[in-house]
Amino acid sequence: MTLMAAERVTRRFGAVAALEDVSLAIGRREIVAIVGESGSGKSTLLNVMSGRLAPDAGRVMYDSGAGLAPIAAGGEAALLDLQRRRWGFVAQEPRLALRMNVSAGGNIGERLMVAGARNYGAIRAAAARWLETVEIDPARIDELPRGFSGGMLQRLQIAATLVTEPELVFMDEPTGGLDVSVQARILDLVRGLVRRLGVAVLLVTHDIGVARLLADRIVVMRQGRIVETGLADQVLDDPQHEYTQLLVASVLPA
Amino acid sequence: MQLYNFAYLDEHTKRMIRRAILKAVAIPGHQIPFASREMPLPYGWGTGGIQVTAAILGPDDVLKVIDQGADDTTNAVSIRRFFARTSSIRTTTRTPEASVIQTRHRIPETALRAGQIIVYQVPIPEPLYRLTPSRADAARMHALADYGAMHVRLYEDIARHGRVALAYDYPVMVNGRYLMSPSPIPAYDNPKLHMNPALQLFGAGREKRLYALPPYTEVRPLDFEDHPFDPHRADAACALCGAADTYLDELIADDTGRRRFICSDTDSCDSRREETGA
Repeated sequence: MTLMAAERVTRRFGAVAALEDVSLAIGRREIVAIVGESGSGKSTLLNVMSGRLAPDAGRVMYDSGAGLAPIAAGGEAALLDLQRRRWGFVAQEPRLALRMNVSAGGNIGERLMVAGARNYGAIRAAAARWLETVEIDPARIDELPRGFSGGMLQRLQIAATLVTEPELVFMDEPTGGLDVSVQARILDLVRGLVRRLGVAVLLVTHDIGVARLLADRIVVMRQGRIVETGLADQVLDDPQHEYTQLLVASVLPA
Repeated sequence: MQLYNFAYLDEHTKRMIRRAILKAVAIPGHQIPFASREMPLPYGWGTGGIQVTAAILGPDDVLKVIDQGADDTTNAVSIRRFFARTSSIRTTTRTPEASVIQTRHRIPETALRAGQIIVYQVPIPEPLYRLTPSRADAARMHALADYGAMHVRLYEDIARHGRVALAYDYPVMVNGRYLMSPSPIPAYDNPKLHMNPALQLFGAGREKRLYALPPYTEVRPLDFEDHPFDPHRADAACALCGAADTYLDELIADDTGRRRFICSDTDSCDSRREETGA
């Protein structure tokens, strides 16, 4: 069943067509990875689908329970409600997404409070539980994230995003900028959590390995267009488009 | 010869301010921009409150001005004399006798009644200012009633100090819709905002904003279910009148560091002493 769909979306930045007539559907509980080189339009597609960027043409549809409807139809307030209550966003750089002058517990609690939680004890208990889930010592609940390592910050961001159990999470290079062993732990964590919570994920990555590990389905983009899409194993093991073949072949052997 | 127009401001300016006040009353707690004028005193000394007072004063009004609860401090005396000289209205220090009360930092202990107007001097009208320095962001948050981030601040206070560490200017929700700064009154005074029979007007001269609470408006301080709003009051009685239920100022009484607590509201303190003969 389709949870979200982009329908013939186009977005230009001046003369550059970052997205050219792109259509993409995501099902409930499905993990879709968008792969492609820098400038292929994958982040633009993520931003358009998450409502952060308005398309020049085409529309983005979402099913909030009453069938697919355009996300821009209800105005800014309705879109904010989707972003706050039904979606989550995990950015590459946790320092920009988190409040660095607010404690770890406050960061996790923010989405709960924004969603209307008004019981301090319950918010704090949820924050402690989520710290444990993402393998951060709950005793550090009142520490500022300043003292956290890069990997811990990213895990904190994941906890702060998943705490409201969203239906759909957008991830933009969630393991970019982390060293390989830390990447592996985070990917493992994300894979376990999204399966357990039944979250749909739209993931942008330039790392074929990340896509192989997490995704059910892979979308390959190049120059603002989708050049190939299919089941993850199928795309990676039997790439049809020559650009996909190049991408798959260019992965360094492990 | 009359040197100044009644209550100093010209009639066009008063009309402009009255229009802003009407808008403010129509949307409780919502900040209305107005064309704040230069006044013959510096910004930060009550220019917003003075302009609101000037715009609403009529010849039959009786004005009371308080500063930190007191009628006899420089700011209160100067503003009261300013209006006495420019408008020939009557002034008073008695809360029940006043029809208009201009105040800085306090709400009188004596309950206000219907028909009275209280005018607050406001330094920073935007309660979201500490969260975002951007006016555009703040306006968007107000428009979408997107106030969840304010609770993050309260959460942090409770996590660090065990309670909300805001002693004054404690943010309130007005009529279940707008987040409002009550001006720097002590949190102790916040409950007096709620369902008050008097009209409450707020003027910020430097920031050029007005807002209002019509009589009998619901005003709730932000809090958590399990950490309800609990304003601080010094655990003492007034050294002059003996009141144990008023907001107190702490004074160092002598050079050995002894402390005394006395009522911050001089009028309520004086009245009680007259009644009890103390």
